[in-house]
Formats: sequence, structure tokens, C-alpha cells
Amino acid sequence: MVQILISSPENEKPGDWMLMELQGEIESRHNTSLGGSVMGDLHFTKEGVPVLIIGHHILYGKVVKLEKPFAVLVKQSQQQKIDENAMETDEEKHSTFYQVTALIKKKIIFKTRPKPIITNVPKKV
Amino acid sequence: MRSVEEVQTTLQIAKLNPDEFYPVTQCLSFREHVSSGDFCLMELDETLCKYVETGKSLVIRGDKNEHAVLCSADETYELKIADTSNLLLFIPNGRTLDNLSEDLSGHKIIHSQVYGFSNCYWELRKCRPKLKKLKKLLLENQYEGLCIKEEHSSTKYTTSDLLQQIQASEEELLNQLQVLHACEINGYWSILELNYEMKLLSHITQLIDAESWSFCKIPLRICLQELGTLEPQEMIEHCLNCYGDRYIDADGDIFFALNEDKVCRAIAESLLQNAIKFNLSEFQEVWQQSVPEGMKTQLDQLKGLALIDHTSKPEAISLLKVEDLPEDTQERFNCLFGIREKWSEADIVPYIQDLCSEKQTGALLTKHARSSFQNGTKVYNSRRLMTS
Repeated sequence: MVQILISSPENEKPGDWMLMELQGEIESRHNTSLGGSVMGDLHFTKEGVPVLIIGHHILYGKVVKLEKPFAVLVKQSQQQKIDENAMETDEEKHSTFYQVTALIKKKIIFKTRPKPIITNVPKKV
Repeated sequence: MRSVEEVQTTLQIAKLNPDEFYPVTQCLSFREHVSSGDFCLMELDETLCKYVETGKSLVIRGDKNEHAVLCSADETYELKIADTSNLLLFIPNGRTLDNLSEDLSGHKIIHSQVYGFSNCYWELRKCRPKLKKLKKLLLENQYEGLCIKEEHSSTKYTTSDLLQQIQASEEELLNQLQVLHACEINGYWSILELNYEMKLLSHITQLIDAESWSFCKIPLRICLQELGTLEPQEMIEHCLNCYGDRYIDADGDIFFALNEDKVCRAIAESLLQNAIKFNLSEFQEVWQQSVPEGMKTQLDQLKGLALIDHTSKPEAISLLKVEDLPEDTQERFNCLFGIREKWSEADIVPYIQDLCSEKQTGALLTKHARSSFQNGTKVYNSRRLMTS
């Protein structure tokens, strides 16, 4: 049987991250990978409504406190030597474990249909 | 990196009025080399959240052919992966209105990165620990007394060995070891072979008789002194701990009070073990005679241990131990209905109580059984067609 450890950082409280939930997928405009590219601007109205401008869309959302918070886990691999009492050769054993990096207690969810931004409105002649 | 002017231009193009917005914008971009495999999301309940915040660890346990479970120090959870059709993005520095900048002079930009994303998460559901395997492991090497040589050193288990094999939290494991009357000898856990355990108990009860002690006041020191020549003192004391409660009197001496129910139940088990069926009234007579003076036997003490057949003439009793039945709920019901077609609620509850919390046996019966009335009593039978 396997035992996989999920450890929490000992001397510090895990960070507090934010979650953003979107419907659909995000694609990079030029079919490149998403890494390093700009995603969008997140505004808040004075009433606290989150507004996201992403590509040619405006999304209106809301801030929700999560009923069940999430833990964000990072997979780690640790090299372990098998103890000397084992009869096998002194191989290195890789054991996987997870570390809790952060907790997420709230999210911004965008559920409404994106409003398109029309930039080239033909002028009336 | 976007500038304030670019952000304001975008707002303009989008035909949004900057005055309606808080003057802090978070410009989000993706981290370099971001991918969905970097992070996992795990849903926590309130208890686990506090647990993790105080730096305690959790362990996932499971074999290749088992469903994985997650264990804290004292609880076990079923672990499942749930998919969502939505995209979940993690933004470490993401802020909402309550922690956005206080400085409202002029439009500010905060650059935040999306560290990772996912469309699935680990879902946890509290469940019963899978402890049936424990007895099976310990039966490989029962303790039968010092005169039997220990030959099978390969099947000995420490607590840590057991945690590698059993899908349970440490506290649940230790509780079950106590229920099984297991004892730790040189760091290894053993359960006592039943006849040996009964032998220890009968040494104690015979001594109680001989000394005319009350079974509620057994002096430990004298007990160990008298019986220490027959069996190891640790075993005598272990037996007292299993069947009684320890206390210290006003003079500082240690005494044990035997638990009437536990003793009567154990003696019943050893009587029933040797026969398939017992005539109920004969059994009750022998049973009462076998227990220590002053103890009263009652059929209620045998819940989950023995089953009475009221329909046979004469009425009969046989051994049926709940811990020998299947651990899975559906399999348990199939097994019970295979043993007996129709069960009264009073008869079946002791054999399903461990599958759920205290008040939920009714719900379990509704789900897994069909009820009907027989001679004015409500009885339960299987929902499935049982092939005879």
C-alpha cells in the first residue's frame, strides 16, 4: 500500500490565494502557449461588483465566500535512500509527497454571458 | 506590462465609465510556463481547514486496487476527483474590495499573476475507516502464551507497519486495537488467541472466588502476585485492562472493577464457539453458571455477537459476530439476508449499527431493505431477488 504525505508548512501559515472561476476556456490569440501573456484587467465597481475585461469581452461576476475552502497542493519529489538494513543494492528511492502552498477561501465567479466589445463601428455616412 | 493609460483606454473602448469603478485595477497575466499540472486543488471542510492552518499533515493511503482515502490524525475521508466544466484560475496576489489598496488618489495598477489553473479538484467525504483488514493481519500471529515459541517473526506489526497496510487514521487504528484487546509486546501488536484470553480471565475469576473479593474491587498487586506464577504479569494486567476499569482508592492502591457486561459477553462467546447451535434455555443456564458469582447474564449483552432463532422449536441461539461480516454496506445486507430471509428491526440493528452513525439505521434499512408486516411485527427482507 502507498502512503503519500500532504504536509503543511511548519512555521508559516499557508498563503491566502484568490480563485477566479470562468465558464469556457481561455485561448491565446495567436495560438501560442498562455505562459507569460497578458490575461486581462480586473476592475471593481464602487458597489463591489468585479468586472473583467479579457480580450474582446466584458464579464460581470460576483465575489463568493467558499463554503468549503480549497487547499492548493504542489507535488514534490524527494529522493530517499533505502535504509542500510535492506538487502537490495543502495538505490535511491523517489517518494512523492504534496505540500500545502496556500488556502483559497473566496472566489470571483463569472457566470454571465460575456458582453462583446465592438471596436469598429461603421460610421454613418 | 500594462500601463495606467492602456488600462484607461481599454475602459474607454469598452464604453465603461471610469467613475463607476474603484480606482485600483488588477492587471492579470499568466506566469511563465504555466500549466494545469502544477497545482492540485483539494476541498476542505471546516475541521480540515483548521487542521491544515495549524501545520498538521495529512496522509493519503491506498493500495493499487483500493479507493484512496485521506487521513488526519483521527479521521478518514474518501478521496475522489471531481471535474468541473468551468476553468479555475489561481491568483496568489488576487484581491477583492476588502483588501484592495486604501490609497484612492489617482488610478493605480496592481500586477498580479495567474499561477496555475485547473478544471478538476479533489473532493473529500468523511467515511468509516477500513478496519476489517486489521484483525486479519493480527490473526496471522496470535499470542498463545509464553510456552509457544514465536517462529513467525515476519508477520509481526508495529503501529507504523499497520498504518502502512490499513486505510485508517492513527487514532482510529489505536481504538480498534483496543476493541480487539490487542496488546503491544516489544513494540509489536498481538491479539490473544481466544482460549488463551479466556484462560487468563478464568484465572482472575477463580482467584476472585477463592479470595471472596467483590468483582468490583480486585487488588492489582495481590492479583499479580498470586497469578504471576501461572502467566506473565503483563498478560494478567492486560486482561484486567480489557475486562475492567482501573481505579485508585483513598490509600493509593490500584484496584480493578470488572465490567459485568464485557465478562458475560466473553464467556458467552467461548461457550457458543464450540457448537453450531445451542438450545436457548440450556445455553442460558450454562452461561449463568459460568460467570463469576454476583454477575447477572442478560441476552442484551449479546447484541452483535449471537443471534436467537425464535421460530425454531425449541428456540436456539448461535454465534454470529458482526466483525466477521462484510465491511461494504451492500455486501453486508446481502450476507444478512442470506443468513435469514426476514429480520425484525431489533434483531438486525446490532448487525448494521457500525455502518452508520447512531440514529441512521432507519434510513439504512429504508434504502437497502423492503419492509412488511408479519404477525403484527414489522420485518425486513432483501430488495433483491435472493436465489435459494
